[in-house]
Amino acid sequence: MVETGHFALVLAFVLALVQFAVPLAGARLRDERMMAVAEPVAITGFALTALSFAALVMAYVQSDFSVLNVYENSHSGKPLIFKITGTWGNHEGSMLLWVLILTFFGALVAFFGRNLPATLRANVLAVQGLVGAAFLLFLLATSNPFTRIPNPPLEGRDLNPILQDIGLAVHPPLLYLGYVGFSICFSFAAAALIEGRIDAAWARWVRPWTLAAWLFLTGGIAMGSYWAYYELGWGGFWFWDPVENASFLPWLTGTALLHSAIVMEKRSALKIWTILLSILTFSMSLLGTFLVRSGVLTSVHAFATDPTRGVFILAILVMFIGGSLALFAWRAQALTPGGLFQPVSREGALVLNNLFLTTAAATVLIGTLYPLLVEALTGDKISVGAPFFNMTFVPLVLPLLAIVPFGPLLAWKRADLAGVSQRLMAAFGGALLVTAAAFVVSDAASVFSALGVGLAAWLVLGAATDIALKAGIGKVRAGIALKRLAGLPLSAFGTALAHAGLGLTVLGIVAVTSFQVERFETMRPGDTLDIGAYSLRFEALRPFQGPNYTEDRGHFTWLDGDRELGEIVSAKRVYTARQFPTTEAGIATRGLSQMYVSLGDADSEGGIVVRAWWWPLVTLIWIGGLVMMAGGAVSLFDRRLRVGAPSRRARPPKAAEAAAG
Amino acid sequence: MTRKQKRLSVIFGGLAFLGIATGLTFVALGQKTSYFYMPGDLEESAVAPGQRIRLGGLVEKGTVERGQGTRVAFGVTDTQATVRVAYDGILPDLFREEQGVVTEGAFGPDGVFLADSVLAKHDETYMPKEVADSLKEKGVWQE
Amino acid sequence: MTFWIIAALLTLAASLAVLWPFLRTRAGRSDHPLAHDIEVYRDQLAEVERDAARGLIGSQEAVEARAEIGRRILRLDQALADDHGRAAMPTGRRWAATAAVLVVPVAGWALYMGLGSPTFGDQPLQARLERDVASSSIEELVARAERHLAENPEDGRGWEVLAPIYMRMGRYNEAETAFRNVIRLSGATADREAGHGEAIMAVAEGLVTEDARAAFERAVELQPGHPKASFYLATAEAQEGRRDEAAERFAALLAGLPVDSPWRGAVEQALGDVRGADAPDQPGPSAADIEAAEAMSPEERGEMIEAMVARLDDRLRDNPSDTEGWKRLVRSYIMLNRRDDALAALGRATTALEGEPERLREVREFAASLGLEGTETR
Repeated sequence: MVETGHFALVLAFVLALVQFAVPLAGARLRDERMMAVAEPVAITGFALTALSFAALVMAYVQSDFSVLNVYENSHSGKPLIFKITGTWGNHEGSMLLWVLILTFFGALVAFFGRNLPATLRANVLAVQGLVGAAFLLFLLATSNPFTRIPNPPLEGRDLNPILQDIGLAVHPPLLYLGYVGFSICFSFAAAALIEGRIDAAWARWVRPWTLAAWLFLTGGIAMGSYWAYYELGWGGFWFWDPVENASFLPWLTGTALLHSAIVMEKRSALKIWTILLSILTFSMSLLGTFLVRSGVLTSVHAFATDPTRGVFILAILVMFIGGSLALFAWRAQALTPGGLFQPVSREGALVLNNLFLTTAAATVLIGTLYPLLVEALTGDKISVGAPFFNMTFVPLVLPLLAIVPFGPLLAWKRADLAGVSQRLMAAFGGALLVTAAAFVVSDAASVFSALGVGLAAWLVLGAATDIALKAGIGKVRAGIALKRLAGLPLSAFGTALAHAGLGLTVLGIVAVTSFQVERFETMRPGDTLDIGAYSLRFEALRPFQGPNYTEDRGHFTWLDGDRELGEIVSAKRVYTARQFPTTEAGIATRGLSQMYVSLGDADSEGGIVVRAWWWPLVTLIWIGGLVMMAGGAVSLFDRRLRVGAPSRRARPPKAAEAAAG
Repeated sequence: MTRKQKRLSVIFGGLAFLGIATGLTFVALGQKTSYFYMPGDLEESAVAPGQRIRLGGLVEKGTVERGQGTRVAFGVTDTQATVRVAYDGILPDLFREEQGVVTEGAFGPDGVFLADSVLAKHDETYMPKEVADSLKEKGVWQE
Repeated sequence: MTFWIIAALLTLAASLAVLWPFLRTRAGRSDHPLAHDIEVYRDQLAEVERDAARGLIGSQEAVEARAEIGRRILRLDQALADDHGRAAMPTGRRWAATAAVLVVPVAGWALYMGLGSPTFGDQPLQARLERDVASSSIEELVARAERHLAENPEDGRGWEVLAPIYMRMGRYNEAETAFRNVIRLSGATADREAGHGEAIMAVAEGLVTEDARAAFERAVELQPGHPKASFYLATAEAQEGRRDEAAERFAALLAGLPVDSPWRGAVEQALGDVRGADAPDQPGPSAADIEAAEAMSPEERGEMIEAMVARLDDRLRDNPSDTEGWKRLVRSYIMLNRRDDALAALGRATTALEGEPERLREVREFAASLGLEGTETR
């Protein structure tokens, strides 16, 4: 089975090469048979990669230590779920997952793309094949997960314990679905440049793909942030760490792409810019892969990295980014510009959105790469941390957030700003009220915090206003309004949901950064620690034996005055196989807020250092992410956006025949 | 406003925004980055008290002293020189003697480094990269 | 065999995927790509109608949108009329088809033969552990015992069997845990406490630590004059430089030992060392080991050497770039008449030193000088 997987991977590589060369040539010669090769090959390539991945999972499940990768990253005593998730908890396995998702997307295009123009489909799949071939070669040449050991040992070295977590089971696949999803946009962009023209179908296709990739990436980032929050035990949700930035960069450019694709679909404008954004977004995904996998940057998330692989990925990076940008420079003039519009219009607002997002992305990119640059030039080692990003990224994004509610209300081509402002008065008044309330409730702690809360309210209320106005609530009778509400296109709901979700995330971030309470103290059983409006009573420290670890559990009672709100258990854990200590934070949720307790070292007198946080409204940060995802999903189900929108019935017989053939 | 004026104002608005972003970035790069030092480097180039830096090295054996409550002090060394570090907080799980560590903070007036964050390696095969590189340069540590 | 069949089937499937489109009868040029755009525009027109009917967009907007889409369709018609396209080349196509279909099996197999290990079957852990006991290696037996104990961690007898085996394999940390479990589950005896102390000492590289000394003292309490415990207690005093007390204790121990005790030699030797004026303290267990070895029966000595070799073997797994270590290991196996193990060690050295051809050559030449020709392992 293992060798079958290895063989399948090699075949998938060869097929990827065929998928690149034959359809590309076919599209140039406009030869239907050669172009048609792309589809069965893409689907077979996916099947082979899936077989290969299944073989590796199997080796993990059976603890087959004759596979080097299994020996290095698994242990027979691990629970089954972590044996399976351990498959992608290491470099080789995670890269195989990356390629699997890539071929999966290729197969989806092949499968659902029957009604795309034949040359576009062939070119898209060819570019997709080239990306796949590059990464398969990377796998086989530098990170082969199927390397065998002649005399296999009887026990593996175990997976890094902080990766033995259910969060890890979900986080990388989601993140990769996002990263790799943008490869489709990239392939479409490259295909458009190769053909020298953009079909009307182009934007229709790119938008749902962008949406899907963006949705998964949002989920992956939110999941990763929550994982770091509860597993690393430091109680932080975002560290501006290079690896986090690496996932945030494609999100920023992807969000910009999402918006510019709307303009392109509706108005055929911003074509060249959209193409460039598609290229940039996937480049950011590749850069992210490079940063995480090469270990060139110090990161709290960097696990066992290898510079030689870094060089290989760097070569892939240069080839695709450089190649596609060169192609762009060469062919972009061939694309015809689209419709015109006034500065004050929906298009204008979306351009503004793109300007803000790409600038913000640029500052994040500079902050992330600056240490590399300085080290290369002067040899000095510097670090760029949260203070840098707070000073650059935050002020750039705040104005963007302030104008978000205007966008969906503006009309296409030319709009009436005064009218739109008038219609937003209610939302603005509401936001002002919330600001005032926040200012009073927080005992006038900070004007900025109150304004932050107000901004979040403005986003949520603005989104609600958008829907209310579209349905005519308050203007027409309730029955009609309800009917119109039901008749609204799903994408309108999607937009409103995504913008409201953004507001919720902002609210969570503002609440946590402004109103969190942190205490740490040495406690003995019976001691009480006041934290915010609550207190924690330390009951006892008790040993506990887990399946592959032992831990000392600190039991705390959470008190509100004299009333007991529940127990919080926080632990210091030691994984026996590697004698590896971890901190398991104790987290209890109340409403949308959380009490977070982590343990430090025990002192000689029977006390233990306890660090506790009260995080008000912290869960909103991730709930907001979920709401954004829901918005994306709702939009995706809009019939007009659905892949392959032109219906077959409406087609004249000749075209239908060609598409079927 | 004529059409042309409108267009120009849009372009200038965009350029002004980009200018602000660039300015912010440069100012922030000047102010908000911190340099990385090993104890031995500090002998050559003095760092003023209060200037934020990152200090990395190995935790010297037998120097970890736990004080009142959560206060802790330890020596960070690169075998050429040692710097005394004071920290108030919870040490990371993998903080151990003779292991790599990166601390961030500033020197106090008495020459003790006051750290507000301490990072230890994340994995037993992982050494903070700056520490590993610097130690390798000095020939103290090999893989 | 199954693997080859599966591989052949996979190759066939992959080649067919490439071949299939070429086999289909209907050839010819594809539809003009621009024709497709008209479909999309038509669909957009229909959409505008629907939205207008539902009142989602105003009538003015609907008129504008219709006009714009209409303009695009007109432009497209013009472009279609102008374009006549290029013709395909049937001969080139046949050539390309052949090459594409052939490249799959040829390149696939060539690459796999370079990368893969087709002769390796799967080796799931469960199956490896269930093999016949007689053919199992010592490591496999230990692994089996470990699995048993992982499921029944309260089995004192199991730990008792395993503890000394761990000691012999040089896995001192595990030995220490095992002895601790034995004492916790089956109660303390002098032998168990002494074994525990010895394990702690081995972990500390031969130094009698506080914990080790406490264990030896408990052993002596349970059985006054217990040879091993007394011996190490005396060693502890010697290590601390309290030579007189150590000598006293060694002498007392010697007096109490039966004539045929295997400890006699070791104790006499140690006593001599302690009394001998400036016998330098040799670090680590090796000095004590050698002394003990002299006092032992041939079997015990053999076991001791084996344990030391196993320890070296283990160390090389952690630190595989140690050229001298590999040489010593190969020589040891040859001297123990374990030629197969020597070959295996050489094979491992080959893998470990792959990146350092000079050091590898050094090891290989050394092995050759012992009459061991390194056969390529891959």
